[in-house]
Amino acid sequence: MLRLTDSAPVVVAKAHDIFRPLDIHAVLSIEPSWANIADKLTYGLLDAAVMLPPLVLASALGLRGPAARLIVPMGLSQGGNTIVLGGEAIKESAGLPPGARLVAWLAGQTGRPRIAVVHRFSTHNLLLRYWLALTGVDPDRDIETVVVPPEQVVPALASGQIAGFCAGAPWGLTAEMAGAGSVLIGTSDIWPFHPEKCLAVRDDWAAANPEALTRLLRALMRAQAICDQQEAADGVVSALADESGLALPREAARAALPGGSSHEQIHFHGAGAAFPAPPHAIWFLRQMRRWGWLDAETNIVNAAAAVYRPDLFSLAARMEDLYIPPGIARNIPIPEAVWAEPASKTGALDP
Amino acid sequence: MLRRSTTGTVLAAGPRDDSQPDHKRTLAVRILLADDDTARAGALTKVLSADPSLTILRPRPGELLADAVAALAPDVVLVDMARPDRDALEGIRVVASNAPRPIVLFVDQDDAAFMEEAIRAGVSSYNVLGVPPPDVKPILRAAAAMFRHHQTARAELREAEKRLRERETVDRAKAILIKERRMSEPDAYRWLRTRAMSSARRIPDVAQEIVARHLGARESVMPPTIVQAGDPPGAPENAKTPGSNDGGIEAREKGAP
Repeated sequence: MLRLTDSAPVVVAKAHDIFRPLDIHAVLSIEPSWANIADKLTYGLLDAAVMLPPLVLASALGLRGPAARLIVPMGLSQGGNTIVLGGEAIKESAGLPPGARLVAWLAGQTGRPRIAVVHRFSTHNLLLRYWLALTGVDPDRDIETVVVPPEQVVPALASGQIAGFCAGAPWGLTAEMAGAGSVLIGTSDIWPFHPEKCLAVRDDWAAANPEALTRLLRALMRAQAICDQQEAADGVVSALADESGLALPREAARAALPGGSSHEQIHFHGAGAAFPAPPHAIWFLRQMRRWGWLDAETNIVNAAAAVYRPDLFSLAARMEDLYIPPGIARNIPIPEAVWAEPASKTGALDP
Repeated sequence: MLRRSTTGTVLAAGPRDDSQPDHKRTLAVRILLADDDTARAGALTKVLSADPSLTILRPRPGELLADAVAALAPDVVLVDMARPDRDALEGIRVVASNAPRPIVLFVDQDDAAFMEEAIRAGVSSYNVLGVPPPDVKPILRAAAAMFRHHQTARAELREAEKRLRERETVDRAKAILIKERRMSEPDAYRWLRTRAMSSARRIPDVAQEIVARHLGARESVMPPTIVQAGDPPGAPENAKTPGSNDGGIEAREKGAP
């Protein structure tokens, strides 16, 4: 996992001693990059990881190197990312709708402003691009996207290396608190309850360790329930702020948790957050194709079904008596516009 | 290609693949080495430079990795996996000559053990597609060996530092026991050892607990003096300054076997 608030289910499962009663001997590994996690998963140096769903899909399809057989047996969180723009000008438009603020800000920029995302194949990048296009901004022509690690976005914004970013909690609020930028919009405003982090494991590890996988999923479901309780937030924050662990800034981490002060909140619990819904994978893959990163031949539905494994999730969820609404895989609310194939890159909402 | 290099280098390795077309005229390979460990990067540069077909490039300090790739247009990027900005290499394109070319992770699909070894050593490699592929395996192998070597050296250094710190803690704990419980030095050591054995812990861990408790007590009690009941008001100055006593004990301890 990375140093992010939404690593909470794994951190809490460890801190609250949830793994041990389920006979899981978990050793947590804090990694400096998403690429490291993908590599270590692929080559067996990690058994399971908190991952970005689009990166799992990209790895499985061979978009970042030869194909890796990774699967997603459960989701870990929803929401939590913010789009932040730097400089003084953005402060003047406070109160206007985010789209109008973006357009006004862009008009005042010289050249293509650099917006940082945390990985090309990240939820952040796909939701940012989706929203920019919705606002009439071409993410390939009007801005420049660069990849900056989440913990470096705030200093990069303060020093002017980037003009804005889309990153997970706590870094949006950290930027505001440091006076480096203003939060323009949360990704949950773009797609309410959008899938954010997921659990990823190797296909062959899952096949060889079916019982361990089920126990792991059960432990994380229990941890997710804790992470979603407002009363438990102090304990969750302490686990996230632990100096020997993620060492996250306490106040900013608290803000994005349930009952926190941030507008953009992370949700962890319930079938909606935990269910690995293939339509989510289809949405991510269609966005990748929209931006020309995925060829026209790949069968998106089959690819989604190979990676997303609700069957593995359901087995564990039944043991935990977690209610799974019937037809959940079909009834996932996804922005209407993204299902219509846009004629052009921008203006996805136009008829 | 590296393996066709005419000079004898430490890198010549791997079977010759004759099914590949000959690219004798495109021998030059530009390698961007993104490693902030100056000593390690210098050593690796020296090794790789032994092959005249390899050009080793380095990013400027503080330069974004993506900017370095754009400015230097390398064929291969070797990157320290400890760098958080490694993600910047994923899915970007190198604009070389006239066309932007995708850059992808180098993976030897036939040799998973080799890939695991490189990852374990902490080094990763990216290739630029669309140019005749250089033989990356010997380059990555050399990098992995260098990283592993430095990893071992660092681990040994950390271990030595840890032992020094532990020794210091044990000395401080003994000094506290000598002063607070009026023990002799051998008694203080025996006390720590007994306590460690009875609680199935290591002596340095018990010592750490004593030191932490002592510091906590000093912070909560004002004034921070350890004056036993019955001590005359004009107790010797060194009874109030543990530091001065520590030094003395430490000096004695150093002489002990």
